Amino acid sequence: MTFTAWIKTITFYEILIGMKATMSHMVHYRPVTEQYPHEKRTLPDNYRGMLALLRYDDGTEKCVGCDLCEAACPSRVIRVVSAEVPGEPTKRYSKEYYMDMTRCLFCGLCVDACPVDALGMTREFEWSVYDKRQLHLNKEQLLAIGDRSFPVREKQLELQHPNVAFFNVAFKHLPQKPG
Amino acid sequence: MTELSLRLAVTFAQILAEMSIVMITVATMTYFERKVLGWMQDRMGPMEVGPYGLLQPVADGIKLFFKEDIVPAGANKAMFALAPMLTMVVSMIGFAVIPFGPNMTLDIFGITIKPFVVADINIGVLYILAIASIGAYGIILGGWASNSKYSLLGGLRAAAQVISYELNVGLALIGVLMLAGTLSLVQITEAQAGGFWHWFIWGGRPDGFFPIHTQIFAFVVFIISAVAETNRIPFDLPEAESELVAGFFTEYSGMRFAFFVSAEYANMTLVSCVAAALFLGGWNAPYPGTIFEYIGLEQLAWVEHIVWFAAKVYFFLFLFIWIRATLPRLRYDQLMRFGWKVMLPIALANIIITSITLYFFPR
Repeated sequence: MTFTAWIKTITFYEILIGMKATMSHMVHYRPVTEQYPHEKRTLPDNYRGMLALLRYDDGTEKCVGCDLCEAACPSRVIRVVSAEVPGEPTKRYSKEYYMDMTRCLFCGLCVDACPVDALGMTREFEWSVYDKRQLHLNKEQLLAIGDRSFPVREKQLELQHPNVAFFNVAFKHLPQKPG
Repeated sequence: MTELSLRLAVTFAQILAEMSIVMITVATMTYFERKVLGWMQDRMGPMEVGPYGLLQPVADGIKLFFKEDIVPAGANKAMFALAPMLTMVVSMIGFAVIPFGPNMTLDIFGITIKPFVVADINIGVLYILAIASIGAYGIILGGWASNSKYSLLGGLRAAAQVISYELNVGLALIGVLMLAGTLSLVQITEAQAGGFWHWFIWGGRPDGFFPIHTQIFAFVVFIISAVAETNRIPFDLPEAESELVAGFFTEYSGMRFAFFVSAEYANMTLVSCVAAALFLGGWNAPYPGTIFEYIGLEQLAWVEHIVWFAAKVYFFLFLFIWIRATLPRLRYDQLMRFGWKVMLPIALANIIITSITLYFFPR
């Protein structure tokens, strides 16, 4: 043991350095704590929160009942009961739409799978409940989440819009929009 | 009213006042420790109950009071109930000989009392050492009576640790006792009056400044052994939560648990008081006399003395928290080797050196 090492040992040199470190943290007090219920952290832009069903700007549901979200979901969260729109045999909608959010892992595959962008991920995450059954959501609840999280809605595409007119070959007898 | 009953009443009033001061200190320390530990670790500590969490001790007390009192199956019920009481009581009665303020007398209803010390007995240091040893029995009994292997291991560790380190506490105090020539804490403190160079940590003679009788090694040994004796980090082997759940009070809940915790804080306060009184001059200010005397308010000098004593005690309490925030826990063999092979020789050498210097330079 060298002389300097001996001096360092009997003067508690290493311990004093450690105590200086803790004291400097107390003097330069910058807590990393976020007082969660009182102040909330800023979420990233691509945050994937609670799922929601969306509407067009005229209030009609976007969902066409195609079941692709149900097929895409890895956790079998979604159950869709599809039905024809009464009086319009070529159009379908989801008669019933259930999500079991206790199983959801928020991967976002259902949102990617939706062909009409009827599903969205909101920035809500405070969904703690005392009763697990409250997380079994039906269509009305999912639409309500979408209504409060996405107040600006997409305009409904006209069936005769150039982008979708291709699918409407059977509707030539209907009056076409000009342009 | 006879004189005896009057004396009893006055003494009970003194004990009540001192007990409430100690309990308030304990409650403050539970809050202060979590707060300071949080600040040192870039956290905030308790913030929810009251402004800046100031009412957290009250909330903790109410919670612990209403918690279920669980006695484990197979526990020795009498010993299980006795252990927390024993620990709490002996941690409290040690304060009886601590002088909180100057050695003045007060005439009240025709009898003379010392307002700042409950019992000025002439074996004060011996009394404190004896009481601190009984405190170890509470811990050992609590560990044994719980009928749990973790508690038993914690109790056994506490036994071995307290015995090894109490030896060092006692030996570290001997130098101070030789310098003061008395065992009474009041007279030891009075021997250090007149400036910080008369404190025993510096060790100047009553007529000189040069630290010929310095007790700084004894002071360091005493502080380290005091940390070990109060089972604080880095010597908290008896309650090592990562190894032994909570050590000797694993099975305790509710008010019994609160007894153990407040006894720990009261013990911290007690060793801080002893360190302040024996090494840092107790109630004496680091300059000769007091400021109140200089400006002509001799009646209020005791306020300044009490403030100095409280400042020293709280410095030691802060030091305990500071050490806790810095150091990790020692391994058990390191703890034992440190106690017997490092602390003990230093304490013995300090006694010898102090004797030699006292022989050649008597006070």
